[in-house]
Order: sequence, then C-alpha cells, then structure tokens
Amino acid sequence: MLNTVLLTLSMATPLVLAAMAGYCSERSGVINIGLEGKMLMAACVSALVSVSHGPVLGVLAGILAAVVMSLVHWLATQRFGIDHVISGMSLNAISAGATNFMFTRFSDPDRSGRIGTLPPLFYQACAVIAPVALILYVGKTRGGLWLVASGSDPEKARLAGLQPDRIRLFALVATGLFCGLAGAYLVADTGVFTDNMTAGRGYIALAALILGGWRVGQTALACLAFGFLSSLNLLFQGTQLGGFNLPSEFWTSLPYLATVIALAGFLGKQRTPAGLGKT
Amino acid sequence: MKQIALIVACVVAFIGMLMLGGISPIEAAQTLISGSLGSPRAISGSLKETTPLLLAGLGVFFALRAGLFNIGIEGQFLLGGFASALVALAVPGPVGLLLAMVAGVVAGALWALPAGWIRAYRNGHEVITTIMLNSVAIALTDFLVAGPVRAANQTGATTATIPTSGRLPALLNSPPWNVSSGLLLGLLLCAAMAWWMKRRVAGYELQAVGANASAAEFAGINVAKVRMNAMLVSGGIGGLGGAIQTLAFEGRFYQGFSPGYGFDSLGVALLAGSNALLVVPMSLLFGVLSKGGTSLLILGVPKGLTNLVAGLVILISATIRYRKAASDA
Repeated sequence: MLNTVLLTLSMATPLVLAAMAGYCSERSGVINIGLEGKMLMAACVSALVSVSHGPVLGVLAGILAAVVMSLVHWLATQRFGIDHVISGMSLNAISAGATNFMFTRFSDPDRSGRIGTLPPLFYQACAVIAPVALILYVGKTRGGLWLVASGSDPEKARLAGLQPDRIRLFALVATGLFCGLAGAYLVADTGVFTDNMTAGRGYIALAALILGGWRVGQTALACLAFGFLSSLNLLFQGTQLGGFNLPSEFWTSLPYLATVIALAGFLGKQRTPAGLGKT
Repeated sequence: MKQIALIVACVVAFIGMLMLGGISPIEAAQTLISGSLGSPRAISGSLKETTPLLLAGLGVFFALRAGLFNIGIEGQFLLGGFASALVALAVPGPVGLLLAMVAGVVAGALWALPAGWIRAYRNGHEVITTIMLNSVAIALTDFLVAGPVRAANQTGATTATIPTSGRLPALLNSPPWNVSSGLLLGLLLCAAMAWWMKRRVAGYELQAVGANASAAEFAGINVAKVRMNAMLVSGGIGGLGGAIQTLAFEGRFYQGFSPGYGFDSLGVALLAGSNALLVVPMSLLFGVLSKGGTSLLILGVPKGLTNLVAGLVILISATIRYRKAASDA
C-alpha cells in the first residue's frame, strides 16, 4: 500500500511539474506542444553538467536550457508569428536530435554508474509547492490576472493596456523553469540520461492539463491519477487481475484514451482558454 | 529580413554544433551525399526511404490544405502497415495483395476517424487528439505483435513473413538498381491529388475551408463535413503508406516498424506548401537526408542529427509559409 503511494508520488512528480509549465504557457495564450522537448533538453543538459560541475549547477543548467528553448518558442510564436503547434513540434524534433547528438558526443565514456544529483525529495517538494504557488499567484495577484487575461482574450487585454506578448515572455520563462525541474528530476530519479527518456511525459502532462480544464488543482489531480495508473502498471506487470492478464500497453494507453474522450466532450464541458493560439 | 536572420541563426547553430562535436561540416556533407546519391545502390536506398515519406507526406498535405494538422499520420501509418500484413498473411496471392492495400487504407482512415469527428463536431483540437492516438497506436500494435499475432518461429516481436507472391512487385530490379512499384503508386497518387485539388469542386471547397473556414461557411460549404472527410482521406493515405511499406519493403510488421516516418512527413508537407506536386521533391529531400544519415553513422555522427535537421527545416519553412496555418480553432 505504502509502496503504491510512494510510487504514485514519484511517477506524478515530473507530470505535475510539466503540467504546471504547460499551465503557465497555455493560460498566457501559447499552445505548448513543446513541453516534451523542453524537458528532454533539460534532462540532457543537467545530466552532462552534473557530471562535470556537480548537482547544483547541473539543475541550474538544466533549467537554463529549458528556459532558452522556451525563449526560442516565444520568439517563434510572438515575433515570427509561426503557428504555435508547428513551432512546438519542431522544438521537440530539435530537442530529440540535439540531445542524442550532445549526449553521444560529449558524455564521458569512462564514467559509469549513477550521476550525482540533488535528492528526488527536492523535486517532489517543488511539485507540491508549484501548484500552490500558482493558485495563489493567479487567484490573488494582479500579475496572475494579467496572465489569464492575455490568454483568454488577447485583443481585449491589449485594449485594456496590457501587452500580451510581454506577459507571454514571462509566462514562457516560467514554463522553462518548470520544464527544467521536470527534466532534471527524471535524471535524479533514474541516475542516468537515456535517449528520449521523457517518453511522452510532456504529452501526458498536456493531457492532464486538458482533463483538468486548464485549472491548477484539477490538473494536479489528473497528474496524480496518471501517476497512479503508471504505478499500477509497474505493480501489476505480469500478474493476473480477476482472471485477465491486462497488458502493460493497456495501462500506458489509458491517459491518452482518457484525453481523447475528454476532448470529445464526454467528460463535462470544454474549458479551453478562448485566446489560445491567437496573437 | 527577420526570416533571413532566423535562417542564418539556424545554419550557424547547426554548423557550430557539428564543429563543437568535432565533426568537419564539409566531410559530413560529402559523406551524406555519397552515402545517399553516390552510387546506384545508394540512390535505390534513398528512393526506398522516399516512398513512405511521399505517401505519408501526401496524407499530411491533404489535411493541411483543409486547415488540419494531422500529426497522427504516424499512428495511421502503423495501423495501415499492421492491417495489411494481417490480410496479406491470411489471403495469399494477388487477390490478397489488393485486399491488403484496401485493409491498410481502411485501418488508417478508421484510426483518423475519432480525431476528425472530434475536430469537426466537437471542436477539440486535432493536434492533441492525434498525438494521443499516436501513442495508443504504438501501444496497440506493440501489444498485438508481441502477443496475439506473433509468428511462432520468430525470436523478435514480429508477424510472419508474407510470401513473395503476395507482395508488391519491383518496378526495376537489376542489381544494383532496385526500385519498388510502391514509389510509382505514390507518384500517381500525387498527380491525381494535384489534379483533384485544382480541377474539382470538392478540391476547391477543401482548400476554401483551409484558407478561411468562416468565409467558406458563409459561402455555403459544410465545413464540418469537409473537415471530417479530409481527416478520413488523410488517414487513409497514411494507412496506404503503411500498407505499401509492408507489402513492398518489409514483408512483415514488427515492433518499431516506423522509425519516425510520420514525423518527417510533417516536414515534407509543410515544405511543399500549397502545391501537391512539390510533395515529391520534398519527400526526396527527406529520403536523401534519411539515407545519408545512416552513412553518417559510420563517421561517428549520431543519428539524432537528421532529426535536428528536420526540426530546423520545419521551423525555417514555417516562418516563410505557415505563419497562420491551422490555427483558426
């Protein structure tokens, strides 16, 4: 029982962090398919820097890498006017390619064993603090109101004297911060970097965001639910469940299927921010 | 001006990365070209890589003209390849071959159906649903091919091999040349699509929806229906691509059937812009890159490099062409 709880928390940690990253970005109006790539980049850079300069700098470098990716995303969407989805997908491809390239080229072949990292507990604490901080920020401060305004109706926000593209700049930096933490956690959790180690977590986080109706609390709960599903998958692998041997692929598919059903509008009404993807 | 700055930045970043990794860009370019275009065998290999990219690229292109971004082509390709392998194994000979192609088309279209329906009638973004369905498609085919339909005498997770009589014949097979008739099918489909889009009312309506959905609605076009059909056809073409991959090249379906053809085909379609005929040279470009990338592995260049190039190419082409595409949600 305790085992399941611990496993659920550790599975949900990167999802919560990535989903909060997605929250900041999408609430400000930038569709973020690129969470996956930002996490992957952060994981790779933090692994490389942790080895050479120690764990603290490793995490900071990972965050910096994700922030840089986010800034590229901001430039692409707000300055070059590239479609949000296309730029996000291309960031994912660039990350997949660049991390594969960097890690095979720059990692030290003589070194083996775990990478020294900050304890996973640090990230788990972040994953608890982040949603609380975001709820307070969005609910209680003027900045939070601006964030939601620029994502809900950029045109009206502009008429009210706000500058949506600047708000989005800050939002995307926050996205980078959270993605950086999520990526670094993956390395801290497993002790290694492997190719494509995010394994779709960025998309699952996006799914949680949609299921949670772009609200912090519900999104975090969806992440916990997905974490619980993955822990069930690990616990029940190969065992019989009521006479059925459910394949692990079934469990991995559940979050994705749930999202498709949610988008079909079968799980309550859709709450997509109205200004998502608009300039 | 800004576009030029971006292109320069991408090229500089790319070359800088090569140099930082201790690879001479000139040597890399030479290896890439000789590995993909240097000999008849290399050219045949590039054409083989081009075929799935051409078909999947046409699928993405078709949806894109209707303003839909079908990222799900990877899943449709997988399901098409899988279904055609099953049918070709069950029904032998040329009849089986024909049925297998049909099965591929149907499987691909069915896999695109939820995304099309949700986009057309529920207004849920097709990008999200197709990404999710891709993951489900990978899990589903992985499971089926590892368990229920796995060949008994094979070590890996794969179906049995389809006998030669049930496969697509080669168009040209005199070693070192080897070109499959699958490529010809792709070219014919491309020509047909270009004609259909230019000359048929339905083709015009499709593109009208893509250009401005609300204007199309006012002009009396049933936008939801067009979107639904566009997604189905796009998925069907993706499924056909998978079927041709099975029937012309692989001869079976296995785990890891598509090394990312679905993704590269997004680049193909984006680069092709508004002209279906341009899908051919663009898929050739990506085919050459993909084949050349394999020979770069020998130089010690990681395979991720081709992915990186694809990403940069998509970003650059999108600044020039797709500044507003597929975003009128």
